Amino acid sequence: MFKKILFATTASPSCDHAARVAFDMAKRYGSELTVFHVLGIPSRGFSQFVKDVRTGETVSYNDDYLEWVKEEIKNTYAKQLKMHENCTIEALTGIPHTEILRAARKEDADLIVMGSTTREENEGTYTYRNIAGSTLQTVTKAARCPVLVIGRPAASFWGGFSDIVFGTDFSRAADSAFMFAYKVAKTLGCKLHLFHACDISGVHAGKLLEQYEIEDNLRIAREKIRKMYVPRMKGFDDYEIDVWEGIPYVEIVKYTRERSADLIVMAHHTREPSPEKALLGSTLEQVVLRATCPVASVNRPDKVIDL
Amino acid sequence: MPEGILCNKKMVDTKEQLDALLADAGGAQYYKEMKQLDVDSDALWVTIQKSLKSRLKTWLEICAHCGMCAESCFYYTANNRDPRQVPSYKIQSTLGELVKRKGKVDNTFMQVCMDTAFSKCSCCTRCGVYCPFGIDMGVMFGYLRGLLFSQGFTPWEMKIGTGMHRIYKAQMDVTTEDWLDTCEWMAEEWEEEYPGLKIPVDKENADILYTVNAREPKHYPQDIAEAAVLFHLAGENWTVPSEGWEETSLAMFAGDWAACKMQVENVYAAMDRLKPKRMVVTECGHAYRATVIEGPYWAGLKSGQPPVESFHYVEWVAEALRTGKLKIDPSKKIKEPVTYQDSCNYIRNAGLADIPREIMSYIAEDFREMTPNREHNFCCGGGGGLNGIGRYREARNIGMKVKRDQILATGAKLVIAPCHNCWDAIRDMEEIYHMGIKWSFLKPILIKMVEVPEHLKPRDEG
Repeated sequence: MFKKILFATTASPSCDHAARVAFDMAKRYGSELTVFHVLGIPSRGFSQFVKDVRTGETVSYNDDYLEWVKEEIKNTYAKQLKMHENCTIEALTGIPHTEILRAARKEDADLIVMGSTTREENEGTYTYRNIAGSTLQTVTKAARCPVLVIGRPAASFWGGFSDIVFGTDFSRAADSAFMFAYKVAKTLGCKLHLFHACDISGVHAGKLLEQYEIEDNLRIAREKIRKMYVPRMKGFDDYEIDVWEGIPYVEIVKYTRERSADLIVMAHHTREPSPEKALLGSTLEQVVLRATCPVASVNRPDKVIDL
Repeated sequence: MPEGILCNKKMVDTKEQLDALLADAGGAQYYKEMKQLDVDSDALWVTIQKSLKSRLKTWLEICAHCGMCAESCFYYTANNRDPRQVPSYKIQSTLGELVKRKGKVDNTFMQVCMDTAFSKCSCCTRCGVYCPFGIDMGVMFGYLRGLLFSQGFTPWEMKIGTGMHRIYKAQMDVTTEDWLDTCEWMAEEWEEEYPGLKIPVDKENADILYTVNAREPKHYPQDIAEAAVLFHLAGENWTVPSEGWEETSLAMFAGDWAACKMQVENVYAAMDRLKPKRMVVTECGHAYRATVIEGPYWAGLKSGQPPVESFHYVEWVAEALRTGKLKIDPSKKIKEPVTYQDSCNYIRNAGLADIPREIMSYIAEDFREMTPNREHNFCCGGGGGLNGIGRYREARNIGMKVKRDQILATGAKLVIAPCHNCWDAIRDMEEIYHMGIKWSFLKPILIKMVEVPEHLKPRDEG
């Protein structure tokens, strides 16, 4: 299923939950795992100094330093590495999102696993190019393969995936997310929850929807799910359809909790790369920060077709 | 005549030499060896006699030490008007002495020269504008850097930089394969939002041959994608060369003239091979100077011009906006106060001061000029290779205060800087002095505000 997993990590505590899921998955599904770390940002033109992503200090980059960092990663994940040996450690310098995307492309990864760092926690996160946006934003938007993001302790990830929530906004990108959710559910024998949240968050702006409008929207969305997705699940009947109303990210997280689901699959295709604006705009980002299970972002069909 | 293993008079022509230099953390061994490096006075004097031509000779002789250049130098004003920072003093006490003593100088003197040439002058050539005789210390320091390089007295990063050019034909270790792969990757990644987007490689007889700064494929590949999007939206018939795509020249900063020639001839060979109508250089100042202004002389072209007509990116943008190839959505113009950083290398060296103002008139509602501006503008503080050299970081940070104050005085919240070095220097300035500003190249700003022609829009979703 996931032949090659790229685990992109800062190797700091903010990635611990992601590490647990990445190693656990690689072991369970027999995947090749690459632990990938961008250790420093070359911020001084052509100079040989880099800014260490963990400490924020300026260090002089050379082979010895690189080896030392790799050794540190080995120590950090010593326990996990003992359990799963089919694993390589790679470290290099560069702009994190660029190098993660470059590595995923080069290695033809089937899945990228990442932690999500919160914005309050400035240590270890580094918005490099003021206008381009954060690592998570850029990787989830541009990756050709699914990106699995673990924001909080993945409470239910003990026995592999069993319940998958596919949150749709009916976009073209969501189509790829659906294919991924469906194929994973089918292959791993999970129950698939097809879910849409009708956005009534306009209430804060004084825009009150009539109850019949809400109910109409719910009905329309349910119908849409039936038309768009159900015919494509030939011979697979372990699914349910639900449409709730509210603020989409809250509803997705609530619904997932209620169904004790252990994976959320969504598309992330916001066109707004500005971190300040995207913070409010991206449902996916909010879900990632709040959900207690891994969240897979899938925008493109490339890696989903062959699953 | 002891020469170090890393610090010596040899050129870096093999990967082994380059790797050895790179493995030397912070250049510690390199600078240690430099202290022992002998000066070959005879060779130095022969070089001076051969290369110090009438212009520089005259400049050295006619300098009246009037001090009119003092106020023109940002290092002088940023360092509390330290008399040792007066440009004429700086050059007379280094190159002037070197010539006077017919090359009979010692190691200490050469190191003083190196420190002065790299930490007290960014070769911004502003002093030349204010000298009553038109003496240009920036040009003379460029010449001095060449003499120093020939004797092995060049900063560690500069030695690495020229090695990169000699081995990879790029300022970074980007191979042809890396470059082509990056172009393919970027076209794939952005194709979804801009259907039909291509990055054509080695297309013959194209209208535009586009060339870049190696840092783009290495660290900011999206810059190439953004250029592709804008060419695509403007309907340009363009291409990038598979070889000869790199415009920059750290060799020029270092004074490794042989590597300068190699680098620029590589670009010119691409022009000869692909026969484009014209060439456009990315948003980089020194790259433009190296390839379009100085390059023809290094390559020995009698016309003093590159093989095909060559433009800086700002010229292409201005033309595209002027002729309507790119249309700006008026509602998306920049509303916040914005200012523009004139890059020394294409303002003073190529006279492109009006072009950016024209661009700003199309894209900004509240454009604020720095004072002074255009050819009178100050260097960002990171020019002449200063951004990359660890040994002179502190000196550079002090120098940047002038630009910081200029920017703050405009009240602008955004600085547009179509030059990699300026962009870097302003970013560093923000990191050091916390000014609360943003900075950007032109491309991402334009992409946000250009109208996408109907036939180039992605199909409706859902």
